[in-house]
Amino acid sequence: MFDDLKNLPVRKAPDSVWSEIESSLDRPRSRSTGFSLCLAAAAALAAIAFFVYRYEADKPRWQVVRLDGAPSIGASKMGDSGRIAEGQWLETDSTSRAQISVGEIGTVQVEPNTRVRLVAARPQEHRLSLAKGEISAVVNAPPRLFFVDTTASTAVDLGCAYTMKVDDSGSGLLQVTLGWVALEWNGRESMVPAGASCRTRPKIGPGTPYFDDAPAELKDALSSFDFSVTKADPLDTILPAARARDTLTLWHLLSRTQRSDRDRVLDRMLALAPLPEGVTRAQILSLDRKALDQWKDQLVFKW
Amino acid sequence: LVVVLSEREISAGIVEACRQGDRDAFRALYETYKDKVYSITLYFFHGDSSTAADATQQVFLKLLRNMAQFRGDSEFSTWLYRFVVNTCLDWTRRKSAREIPADLRPFAASYSQEQDFARAQTGESVQAALSALPPKFRMPVLLRYFEGLSYGEMGRALNCSTGTVASRLNRAHKILAKKLAGLKYV
Repeated sequence: MFDDLKNLPVRKAPDSVWSEIESSLDRPRSRSTGFSLCLAAAAALAAIAFFVYRYEADKPRWQVVRLDGAPSIGASKMGDSGRIAEGQWLETDSTSRAQISVGEIGTVQVEPNTRVRLVAARPQEHRLSLAKGEISAVVNAPPRLFFVDTTASTAVDLGCAYTMKVDDSGSGLLQVTLGWVALEWNGRESMVPAGASCRTRPKIGPGTPYFDDAPAELKDALSSFDFSVTKADPLDTILPAARARDTLTLWHLLSRTQRSDRDRVLDRMLALAPLPEGVTRAQILSLDRKALDQWKDQLVFKW
Repeated sequence: LVVVLSEREISAGIVEACRQGDRDAFRALYETYKDKVYSITLYFFHGDSSTAADATQQVFLKLLRNMAQFRGDSEFSTWLYRFVVNTCLDWTRRKSAREIPADLRPFAASYSQEQDFARAQTGESVQAALSALPPKFRMPVLLRYFEGLSYGEMGRALNCSTGTVASRLNRAHKILAKKLAGLKYV
């Protein structure tokens, strides 16, 4: 019997499989295949951009191109193109848009009614500060070279594309379309993958990340959990609504809940995904960093 | 030009090139593993070539999408098998209503006329018995005997302990032996 099992013939994959894969890679933006396409394109661009970045580090960076209307740099309205220096503000009104070249590593599109400042333009630190409005960043570089500060968080690029919005009150919303972004603030960190979002609030920092396709009740309850004080316990809604993919949210909640609630979060997670071999319940409940990271590395396959 | 590499030649460089979006490198990687992945999915899905082709496609797309997560602390093939396992089991869960086909006859025999008819018949019986195993037993059998993975590698691919692997294989052996009673093995 074992010999026959070992001798099962290897079957040739039909040529149509690669054709389908290739057309998926070329197809624009259905959710998963779009992701693959973007990933491949961004990675290829990353290789090129990083090569240029390394060998042309001395070239001037932070070029700005006008896309619509009349954006201003500092106190002056810009023409079709301009340059922004460290400490200067770029501002758009309701009819103007602009695009900043982030050194040689990417671009940032500045949407209308936005105010953004160039904080640092060094090879190892490309940093903007977003006071209000909306920017969309596409960065093709090794992780942790590009940062966006807001009043409630710092978005750390881990090789990605994303949109960051900040309203007049300083509250923000990060939406990641490719790769990963880490939101950091006063020791609090949220890891946000493609397809997921994370809210931020002044004086509180980044909330808990969630997938955009998560159940609406989960997202609403999560907002209460992160930023409100309510009579009802948001976990009563979040936990039963969570799907396997929402272990992204639950994994973050482990370190944001008190011990009794952490037990509940862990129980729900275990119903959705097993612990890795060698990792114990006690380690997770005590927030053992290594154990949490091991589990996250496993859960990533569901995200 | 399509480059086909041996599994030994899947170096960190190839993986890194894939990670950087190099489509030729991904094609080379695909060519190296496609038949193995397709065969596992084909045997797993009872010889349903259409489902196997779709599943193979999904495996490689997921692989590409998650290439950045591969950190080289395990064999690349072990990592790849995790995608195969997850894809097959996810597919099975989603289509549980259609999981066990009414017809469990062995699929498309590949034996030539010159080959021994009795051997072909036995092989087909084994395929049919394999098809009838529940998914959680079927996959360990394929990884162990068709792919030749060690218990440790299987544990990592199946995301369970080696004890669980051993237990599932033991159960699978018993079921297979029962189904194949009367053939030469029993």
